[in-house]
Amino acid sequence: MKARLSLTPPLIALILAVLLFFAGGLINPDFVNPAQATNIVRLAAFLGIIAAGQTLVIISGGEGIDLSVGAVVTMGAILTFRLTGGDNNLIWLGLLASCAAGIVIGVINGLGVALLRIPPLVMTLGMTGVVQGTILVLTQGEMIGATPSLMREWIANPLVLGIPGVIFIWAIVGIGMWILLERTTYGKRLFAIGVNRTVARFSGVRVQWIVVLTYMLSGLLAGFGGFILLGFSQTVFLQLGNNYLFPSIAAVVVGGTLLSGGKGSYWGTMSGALVLTLIDSLLRAAGLEQAYQLIVFGVILLLLIVVYGRQRSLRQ
Amino acid sequence: MALTLSARSLVKRYGGVIALRDGSLDIQSGEVVALVGANGSGKSTLSKIITGAVVPNGGQLLLDGTPIQFPNPQAARKRGIAVVYQELSLIPDMTIAENIWLAHEPLRFGLAVHRGALRDRTKALLSLFAGTISPDLTPDTPVTALPPDERQVVEILKAISSDPRLIILDEATASLDTNQVNRLFELVKTWKAAGKAVIIITHRMEEIFRVADRATVLRSGESVGTVTLADTDEKTIVSMMIEGAITPEQIRIPTTALESHVRLDVKRLSGGRLHDVSFALHDGELLGLGGLQGQGQVDLLLALFGLIPHSGEMILNGKPVHFRHAADAMKQQVAYVPGDRGSEGLLLIRSILENMQLPSWSKYGAVHNRKAARKDALTSAADLQMVYASLDDPVSSLSGGNAQKVVIGKWLLRQPKLLLLGDPTKGVDVGAKGEFYALLRQLTEAGTAILFYSSDDSELLGLCSRVLVFHEGSIRAELSGENLTRANLVAASMGTAHERH
Repeated sequence: MKARLSLTPPLIALILAVLLFFAGGLINPDFVNPAQATNIVRLAAFLGIIAAGQTLVIISGGEGIDLSVGAVVTMGAILTFRLTGGDNNLIWLGLLASCAAGIVIGVINGLGVALLRIPPLVMTLGMTGVVQGTILVLTQGEMIGATPSLMREWIANPLVLGIPGVIFIWAIVGIGMWILLERTTYGKRLFAIGVNRTVARFSGVRVQWIVVLTYMLSGLLAGFGGFILLGFSQTVFLQLGNNYLFPSIAAVVVGGTLLSGGKGSYWGTMSGALVLTLIDSLLRAAGLEQAYQLIVFGVILLLLIVVYGRQRSLRQ
Repeated sequence: MALTLSARSLVKRYGGVIALRDGSLDIQSGEVVALVGANGSGKSTLSKIITGAVVPNGGQLLLDGTPIQFPNPQAARKRGIAVVYQELSLIPDMTIAENIWLAHEPLRFGLAVHRGALRDRTKALLSLFAGTISPDLTPDTPVTALPPDERQVVEILKAISSDPRLIILDEATASLDTNQVNRLFELVKTWKAAGKAVIIITHRMEEIFRVADRATVLRSGESVGTVTLADTDEKTIVSMMIEGAITPEQIRIPTTALESHVRLDVKRLSGGRLHDVSFALHDGELLGLGGLQGQGQVDLLLALFGLIPHSGEMILNGKPVHFRHAADAMKQQVAYVPGDRGSEGLLLIRSILENMQLPSWSKYGAVHNRKAARKDALTSAADLQMVYASLDDPVSSLSGGNAQKVVIGKWLLRQPKLLLLGDPTKGVDVGAKGEFYALLRQLTEAGTAILFYSSDDSELLGLCSRVLVFHEGSIRAELSGENLTRANLVAASMGTAHERH
């Protein structure tokens, strides 16, 4: 019999995050302080929110992956930037538009994967191109607009007790995701189709419907992530969301979610987002040139995915 | 070359669990010995020690009189011991010939694979099963193209290709049809005459009496005795295997059901391999589906549960229905228990609780009431006398019989009015089978209509009062009353013309 509280991958990721934080003190003594800790969590929150949808898609199995999240994040941010034009009274419009755009893109992804049986990798990669093209058509390449001042105050700046709003938003997303995965029929069916689609179908699960719903949620969360990100970045450009694509996958995998699907958790992804953000911050603190930072970060992501990807065999 | 093999008090522990406490067995050339025991009795462990797949913690294995320990299966094979497993070891993307000769290819000049010899020898091996396998099979047919029964045949040919002295058949007949089993047993007799030794492990008692000379019985990891089959009967062996086991004959469901309400009326149903199938099923009736494997019995269950497209009429409880998805069938209180637990019935890495509640979660609210879901699952598990540590353990930690109870339990939680069973006792041990038969009786007494496909003829004969025999997608015969005999069942299975009553 195994002990109940065993070292699960999400717990390992969380311990790794704490160790990395204190390891930062060795590189730079200024690294370890409450303000820096808050800043790390704030940065991790953006990645964590964007990776929420990715978690769902990867759990759904069938080689599920959403490569369009980066483009959708960009889309959400640009729509908010443009539609509000910096007007605080129009924030609701930006929120609505970025979420709606995410839903539309996600549903198309889902239909392509579920009904046309296009491999998720191909479908969502193709969708990335379509979304970027659409952004160019809509904006004509000119990034006109502004960020409403309230968004910065509510999202990026300290809100209560010196804690930025985005951390509260992340906590709410975390609770929502936990309920979704562990306490709803959708969640149970999502895990079921991730493990074995025949068993799910034989048990009355409408597999294709769950797949479409999952890609839709991924689009929605990425669009919402774009809206939130604008509150931090204050500016938009065509590659804004791209930097979040690969880390969003890595955060899910580091958090113990199987790439083959059927097993995973969002609190794992949250821990994974913390680990990745810390590695990124440590590389900055080490004072490497930006080019080398990118190289080292990329190599570490690859290594993490290779190491964790080996858990595929757990499925048997 | 003659062989004698003795296992003396072999012991195998996995962590704190003892899989084999006292495994003993004797066999010599020209003998067929059956190894019998319930699931978890240690017979697989014992056979795996003999084939070198498992290294024992204690006891002795004597080969030709000298103690030996095989570090791996290759070492056992070198000494002339070959094994056929039920779980297939073939590589799907390779051809029949490549699979059979893998790792001992006939060589030319001791170097290059002699492809001509490879093909000729494979043809000779395939001819052993001629008439029971597709005539289109050639040495170059890829294994992916084969149905499960023919894969099992290739598996058998692979084992005998090295001309072993001892052949172990570990549940090798489970996926074979009657003709193939008959051919295999003819071969076993020729091997025996040629001085080979054969150990057969099977769940089917009838097979043991057909081919074996002696049976060694294991119970809870101990060899409890060896009997000569000529002077013993099935009941003696079963009582040695497990105390108080129930056989199908003791359960027989009474025929009174036929006057009751018609639950299901099927007219001219076609789909998959099915062609023009019509019959009626009453409340409280256990209607058997018989015949050789793959004659459309499973397609009938799949069509009735909305899992494959079909045409024809299906009248359920007086109302015409047409199910396009299992979810539609479930709403009408229909349930389907598939035969292949691992690939169709269970989410292996998920918990027992999640598996049992998978079809029923939606009734626990938008945000689930976990306590209620757990309580229902606990009740169902207790009703089925399931043995487990915690509902949160993965279902893969359960034994075959208990895993099957999860598959059944998940549907009983929904209290079905029509229960479709697709070979539910395949790979389940005698004790669990007995409990399952008793459960079928309880269900029919409560008025559940059951359609019961079984590949085990004695189950159909023992349990059902009416059996539909399938052949090539149609009902070839309907047997009931005094017509329900093994001879009629076998004759109809082979497609012999028979009046429908």
